[in-house]
Formats: sequence, structure tokens, C-alpha cells
Amino acid sequence: MKSLAIRNLSKTYFDAYAGAHVDAVRDVSLEVPEGEFVSIVGPSGCGKTTILNMVAGFIAPSSGEILVGDHAVAGPGPDRGVVFQSFALFPWKTVLENVAFGPKMRGVGKPERERIAREFLSLAGLSHAAERYPNELSGGMQQRVGVARALANEPDVLLMDEPFASVDAQTRMTLQEELTRIWQERRSTVLFITHDVPEAVFLANRVVVLSKGRVLEEVDIPLPRPRRWDALVESDDFKALANQVLQLVRSA
Amino acid sequence: MNPALQAWSLYARATKRWPALAALVPFIPVVALWWIVAAAGVFPRAFFPSPPDVVRSFADLVYKGILPEYLEDSVARLAVGAAAGMAIGIPLGLLVGLSRKAHAALWPPLLFFQAIGDIAWLPILLIWFGFGLATMTFVIVYTVLFPVVLNTVLGVRSVPVELHRAALSLGASKPRILWEVVLPGALPNIITGLRNGLGYGWRALIAAEMIVGTSGVGFLMFDARRAGSVVEIVLGMIVLGLLWYIVDAWVLAPIERATGQRWGLVTR
Ligand SMILES: Nc1ncnc2c1ncn2[C@@H]1O[C@H](COP(=O)(O)OP(=O)(O)OP(=O)(O)O)[C@@H](O)[C@H]1O
Ligand SMILES: [Mg+2]
Repeated sequence: MKSLAIRNLSKTYFDAYAGAHVDAVRDVSLEVPEGEFVSIVGPSGCGKTTILNMVAGFIAPSSGEILVGDHAVAGPGPDRGVVFQSFALFPWKTVLENVAFGPKMRGVGKPERERIAREFLSLAGLSHAAERYPNELSGGMQQRVGVARALANEPDVLLMDEPFASVDAQTRMTLQEELTRIWQERRSTVLFITHDVPEAVFLANRVVVLSKGRVLEEVDIPLPRPRRWDALVESDDFKALANQVLQLVRSA
Repeated sequence: MNPALQAWSLYARATKRWPALAALVPFIPVVALWWIVAAAGVFPRAFFPSPPDVVRSFADLVYKGILPEYLEDSVARLAVGAAAGMAIGIPLGLLVGLSRKAHAALWPPLLFFQAIGDIAWLPILLIWFGFGLATMTFVIVYTVLFPVVLNTVLGVRSVPVELHRAALSLGASKPRILWEVVLPGALPNIITGLRNGLGYGWRALIAAEMIVGTSGVGFLMFDARRAGSVVEIVLGMIVLGLLWYIVDAWVLAPIERATGQRWGLVTR
């Protein structure tokens, strides 16, 4: 586990069709201390995915720097685990093989990596599906595999880009509760991206509101844990915080 | 119970038990029609043999050992061509699919040479290599190669960028990604390329055997023409169709069922 620091990060795309430059991210600075859960919210097109892709190392920043611990990011690496909106499971690998993929790439032997994979599958409540292929699972189950796969590689930082956006509302709430439970158990450093305000507030220690590529405001979320939806929907604190963030997003 | 229903349920149970039966049944009307036309005597028998004539000719050629020998020759040529075509085609397709530079350099010539189909090479090959194995091998490898290369490129490019990214952020190196992500992701397309390549290759081989061959099923048919034996020509045609069916149903289809279909990459 390590901290994540984003310093004066900017990204300008060149849109070849329009023949124009697009400033997707402008001078964003952000700290995620070790073991903290930070959500980024903002309206569509405000640069959330661009930030995450730069942190993951998938695209190069135009300027600024990204540090994991005291190490500057220069490309993708196993120190940053990524959970994708589209799940991005390997269709030709069973659930177990998907989760064991990271350890396999590290050179962990087969019995040991399968033991690790089973441990993380049970953490995600998926022990029974280990031998199945991803296309045989529901969307919610696939994303549980996606989370287990990222965690099984013991990354320093976990990056999640709208991971629950493509599952139904009930499943999403379950997955959110499971994620807070897992986070409490493991205390990972998490950067979580969403455009869903209640989700951001429910999960995070701190919510960063993004607007047109800039940080608009940071809101601390001092809600007690463990967090459960049936308790929080009634909570005035939760409602007040969600309302505050919502106002910021709407003004963005 | 209704006798028609009863017959149908019997058929359903029988084909479930012996799936090969389901492949044979559709041919019953074809053979029946052929038989009726032949038996009606509209055409002279030497021009239009009946099914029993062909079966007799089959038994005869098997007994003399000609058919097994020619069949073996043709199949061996196809196998060599397919192996060589894959050995060159898959790596080449991976290279062109993965490397922007290789794509820029090789894609135009690939399209160009693809258009000069198999048989179009024969005139010049005959001058260069003469009537022989070299010419035949060139034609079949050439024919298998292009569908394999082009489909492999397509397959490589169809692997979602997200899967590359997932593998990279799980610590995979470039060579591991080739093996763990690109190759399996491209596999359904590679098999399609192989199926097309083998199909074209099989036809090209028969054509080449007719022109340059001294053995093989194509030679058998062309030789039969010289002897005016329509029955052997028809037999050759049936053998061609049967052999392809076997390659498809016993080799290609099971691979597809175990890979792309199992993984949900292609519809069943
Ligand atoms: N490859 C690209 N080329 C040009 N412009 C791009 C590219 N990718 C993103 N953009 C632009 O950059 C801006 C930010 O995009 P980004 O995908 O980061 O937004 P987002 O906040 O993730 O939105 P959403 O909530 O819809 O996912 C948008 O205006 C988008 O059109
Ligand atoms: Mg996005």
C-alpha cells in the first residue's frame, strides 16, 4: 500500500476531425494518502477517465507528474491495479485463471497462485464460480471478478473507472457495500471514479468534484463505517453530504 | 400416437445417438432424384451414371489401390500446404496486426498479391518450376497463406484495447501479452482464416493437379476425362465434397466449439 500524488496534471488532446485542441484536464493536483478512499465525481466529459488513464499509465500526460509512493509513473504497471467499466476480463480464461493472472505474471507457481486466486474469489463471494468462463456470468458477477483480479495482484493503488455503471441498481448497491467491506478489511489506497453522487459519497473518505478538467472542490466524508445502504439512506449526515456534493456537481 | 409423430421422434432419438446420421439424411432426396433421373434413361448411361455405377467404380478403384493412393497424395499436399501456410501466415499476421510500421509496409503488397489468385500463378510457375511438386506446393501454400494472414490481422485488431491495458496493469510483458491475450483473442478469426484458406487451397490443389499432376484426386478426374469415364469423374467430385465435410466437421468445428464458442466470442 502506498500513497498517490497527482501534481499539476494536464492533458490536451488533439481532435483530428475538428482540427482543434481539447483541454481535457487542466492543472489538477490531488493527494490520496496511503489507505484512503477518494472518489472523483463530475459531469460527463469533465476529464475523469482521462485522469484515471494517466494515473494507470495508459496515456501520457501533457504536463505534470504522478507519484505512487515516491515513484514517478511512466506507463502501466502492476503497482496500480485497474478495475474497468467494461470489466475487461479475459474471455478465454476461467474466473480462477483471470484472478490468478497477476500472480502468474509475477512468476508465482501454479498451486500458490490458485490458492491466492481462491482466497480473493471467496473475498468477492464467488468461490462457486471459479471454473466458469466470464461469458457464463452476470454483469455483477463479472465485475466482482474484475475487483478480485485487481486485488489479487496486491497493487499499491487501486484505480476504478465507473466500475458499477453497467449493472442494475440493486446489484450496484450490493457491490458498493461489498467494496466498502473489502476496503475496510484491506485498507487499500483507492481512486474511484463515478458520475453517481450517492455512490461517491457512500464509498469515499473524500470526494473530489471535477469541473471542465479542473478540481472544483474537495469534500470530506466523515461518515462512520461500516457503511450500509439501509442505514445511510435514513441518515441526515449522508443526505446533507450528498446534497452538498450534488449542488457542486450541478454548478460545475 | 400419430405415426408421423412417432417416426419423427424415432428420427430425433436416432440422430441424437448417431449425429453423423443427421448429416447424411439431407442427401437422401439429392441421391433419390439423381437415381430417378438416371433410371429414367433420359441420358445415355455413359454420360450420366447412376448411384450404383459410382459405388461400383468406387469399389473397383479402392480394390486396385488407385483411389487410396491418390487420396493420400492429395490430402498430404493439402496438409503440407496448410502447415506451411499457417507457419508463415500466423506469425506474419501477428506482426502486421501489432506493428504499425509492419502494417504500413506490408498491408498494400498483401492486398495486391492476394488478388492474384492461385491459378493465375500457374502459367509463370510452369515456366519457372515445370510440371511438378514445386509448382503444386507453391500454389497451395500461396492459397492458404492469404486468408490466414488477413484474418489473423483482423483478429489481432479485434482484441479490445481494454484487454491489453488490463494485462499491462497486471504486470504482463509484451511477449506474455502476445501469448496470453493477442493469440487467444485472435483465435476465432485465425480459425476462420484457416477454414477459408483450406477451402480455397483444396480447390486450388485439385485444379493444379488437373494441370500439372501425375497423381491426386484432381489428376484422377482429369485422367478419367481423357478415358471418357464419366463415372470416375462423378466419383472424384463426390470424394472432394466428402473429404471437405470431414475436415470441417471433424477438425475445424470441434476446435471452434472448444475455443471461440466456449468463450462467448462467436455466436453458436
Ligand atoms: N482520445 C481523445 N481524443 C480527443 N478528445 C478526447 C479523447 N478522449 C477524451 N476526449 C475529450 O476529453 C474530454 C474528457 O473526456 P473523458 O473521457 O475524460 O470524460 P469523463 O469525465 O470520463 O466523461 P464520462 O463521464 O462521460 O465518462 C471530453 O471532452 C472528451 O471529448
Ligand atoms: Mg469516463
